[in-house]
Amino acid sequence: MLDEATRDAILKIRDEASARGAAALFRLHRERSHLLRVGNNSVSLNTSEQLTRLDVEVTDGRREGSHTVLGHIAGTETVRAALDIAAAKASVATEKDYEPLTGAVEEPVAHSGQHDPALAELEPAVKADAYRQVMEKVGAHYNYSGSWSSGETELYVVTTANRNEAWQLCTDQYFTVVLKHPEQRWELQATGTGWRAEDLAVDRVVERLQTLLPVYEGQPGLRLEPGPYTVLLGAKALADIAAMAAWTGLGGRGWEEKQGWTSQHKVGDRILGANISLVDDPQNAQTFQNRFDMQGRRRGAFPLVTDGVLAGLMYDQSAAAKYGREPTGHDLYAMSLAMRPGTAPAEALEAVAEMDRVLFIPALHYTHIPNRAEGLFTGSSRFNAVLVERGRVVRPIHSSRITDTFGNVLGNVRALSSATVSVNLSNTYGRRQPVAASVPAYAVVEGVKITDSAESF
Amino acid sequence: MNTESWAPEIARHIDRIVGLGADYVDARHYLQDDAETLVLYDGNLEVNDTASEGGVGVRALVGGAWGFAATSDMDALGACFDQALANARTAALLMAAPLSMGRLPAHRGAYTSPVTVDPFSVSPADKLAFLHAIDQSLRADWIDRRFLTVQLQRRRVRFASSEGTVIDKDLTNAFATMAVMALDGDRRMQRRSHGLYTTGDGTRGWEMVTQPELFSSHAERIKSELAELIKAPALQPGNRSVILLPGQGFLQVHETIGHALELDRILGYELSYAGGSFVRLDDFGRLRYGSDKLTVSSYGGIANSPGTFGYDDDGSPERDYLLIDRGLLVDALSSRTGIHEANARAGRTVFRESGGAARATAFYRAPIDRMTNVNILPGRDGSLEDIVASTADGIVVDNPTSWSIGSNREHFHFGCEIAWEVKDGRRTRVLKDPTYQGHTLDFYRSLSAVGDASTWRLEQVNNCGKGEPNQIMQLGHGVPVVRFDDVITGGRG
Repeated sequence: MLDEATRDAILKIRDEASARGAAALFRLHRERSHLLRVGNNSVSLNTSEQLTRLDVEVTDGRREGSHTVLGHIAGTETVRAALDIAAAKASVATEKDYEPLTGAVEEPVAHSGQHDPALAELEPAVKADAYRQVMEKVGAHYNYSGSWSSGETELYVVTTANRNEAWQLCTDQYFTVVLKHPEQRWELQATGTGWRAEDLAVDRVVERLQTLLPVYEGQPGLRLEPGPYTVLLGAKALADIAAMAAWTGLGGRGWEEKQGWTSQHKVGDRILGANISLVDDPQNAQTFQNRFDMQGRRRGAFPLVTDGVLAGLMYDQSAAAKYGREPTGHDLYAMSLAMRPGTAPAEALEAVAEMDRVLFIPALHYTHIPNRAEGLFTGSSRFNAVLVERGRVVRPIHSSRITDTFGNVLGNVRALSSATVSVNLSNTYGRRQPVAASVPAYAVVEGVKITDSAESF
Repeated sequence: MNTESWAPEIARHIDRIVGLGADYVDARHYLQDDAETLVLYDGNLEVNDTASEGGVGVRALVGGAWGFAATSDMDALGACFDQALANARTAALLMAAPLSMGRLPAHRGAYTSPVTVDPFSVSPADKLAFLHAIDQSLRADWIDRRFLTVQLQRRRVRFASSEGTVIDKDLTNAFATMAVMALDGDRRMQRRSHGLYTTGDGTRGWEMVTQPELFSSHAERIKSELAELIKAPALQPGNRSVILLPGQGFLQVHETIGHALELDRILGYELSYAGGSFVRLDDFGRLRYGSDKLTVSSYGGIANSPGTFGYDDDGSPERDYLLIDRGLLVDALSSRTGIHEANARAGRTVFRESGGAARATAFYRAPIDRMTNVNILPGRDGSLEDIVASTADGIVVDNPTSWSIGSNREHFHFGCEIAWEVKDGRRTRVLKDPTYQGHTLDFYRSLSAVGDASTWRLEQVNNCGKGEPNQIMQLGHGVPVVRFDDVITGGRG
């Protein structure tokens, strides 16, 4: 549980707010983050952050105000000052034309099921040594980059609606290494993620890099002609596409306002292929689990797409209030997206052993949505993209762009791996907020539109 | 305590860490880092938020390796310096080519954004009244969604280094956007938007936000354009000329010139996240980046831009210099360590001095190479209508809806809110869902017209992301109307 001094200060001011009839939410976010970055075979940055943020939200009838302080939350004075600022903002706010909902911790939560003290205390020297090992084992004549972010995040929410407290303590890490050929300029990548220190093993990283090296060293790159291809999407690419599809089509606000690619459908309609099921599942151990949302609402498994059929839409508190719906626990930085595995072999190359020509695109770079209403996305291949013929990797492919719709790509999946993997989707903008998706290790998709290819990797 | 009160303590710790073996140390003390965000959505005040941050970020260079640490607890100041030193020592354990800051003489500097009305001194009631008045003007029974935002920033920072340099910065930024949306004939939502821009001159306090020609007066324009857009046919695929208005041109410059010319990307320090650059050190002074109509500057002297900050977070002054001179690549966006490393690697003096582009988003992040104001200089091809008049077959496009760029900035794909078809020198009709794509060098070499100064304006950017840990940065792009030929538009047919 949160340290007593900070907890006492927040509860004392929460009680003061209750006594004066204010509807207030207090959210404390505390992180101990470390990131070691490598560039040009050297540590280019070794950085430590210890940051505490307190968010206070006040609802005054149909008016709302909020304030965040990042600093030393020294005691009741800091908390009271933040409350006063948020309350003052609410008092002069203009009224909404609907009745806002207010946050409430629905049940007491104290969750630290994804906390590993060994990862929280991981020494930077261990990270530097891991990169050294990778370089030595794979070959020091290549150029190496990467980053290894790890940290501990503590989240605590209370409101004036009741006396429940929600608390969570977790650890997370995300490791990347990029191997670049200094002259030919192709790039290979290996990654690792998890909430335990033991989730990252240098030997597995080395093995992944070494697997593709002979093909990249021995074969020239292939520049693709635009057109439809059978594509073997790797887990990272699949997670990116699924997360973007969820973001642009499975949110309640976007659907109500006819902005998303599902807007011309309703719950119960088929929107994707029958072999696609998506769930926001905070119990899934391959995701980073949030047992309550930022408004204190309970979170459980929430079906989004079941057997290709639209099963549910995510409503945050604001959208639910505006459109007369129930909030679904989706005031979140990100959900625990899980895609149901298929029945195909666990390993990708085994699944395409009988196919003449398949593009294996493990990851997409810089995906975006040129047309949200159509569900049109675009992004380009990066890292480890290769041509596969009858289950054998034959040559690397140049940077190639996919521009296609969610409906086409997730509607024409010919095979899905029976094994799932965890894909880290975190960013480190602002506060630490670990995010991961659980997806099949690959998907074989027919008729994917390649719309451009570069002369280089 | 105020900044001055902490200054001796920070100076003492800098000296202490140098005494313990650091080659270079600096500290950025954020006495104030305030932000305010207001969002009106369909007339409802959906975001009414302020945020306040403060603390110290410390960099130490030991054995050519950086260590960084930050704290918001000034009682832990000494421990923060110790942590930065310890991190640098650990980093030095894996160091193939030690970094160098070079040596600059101590100097004292100060920069204050030109502001007439401090945005944080304006009452909330006045700010909301301003936004609601614009919201009223955006209303119409056929408009489905209205969106208005204002984002305000004020930062007071003192930089101090082991070279004896001390710099005080007082930076104010103001951003605002408006948008209207309506369903088209296919029951799909279309959007027109406008962002607060500047002319480059003038001040940048609340008075800039309320200057009608920069913001509020555009409400009627975007409404009338949306009315045409929802009745418009879609752009059909094909190769044609593309004329970028500054509302789109700024992002083209940002993504395919600005990021491509960040020296840390060129040197390979961003490969694990943002990506690299197709540009090589050998290309400076040799690579024809665009046609001879393309001249691009990095100009820190623009009075009124979020890309103007006086001194960077290396303590270097901002500069006014050319990146591309009449199509020829000549310089990069750089910082102190980058130019030393680049010159050593190239075996020649590629860069004579830092571009003054080392910037950090907050006290708790270390500086990296960022854009300042990256601008296409005005040309001699007249007004927008002059350029349209000399175009046989093309489209005029404005405001991005999507942007996706190759990892080395070698190719790109953009979606825009609106296009106007151009046939035989005349704008004929509005087209919806425009996209265009291309390869960077081919694209800039096809630059066939650059508008004059009357078409140039400075677009503000408040959300440029880069780095690990990730950092958001504010900057500016001054761009005129520009035309490119034989561009793939509307996707592959």
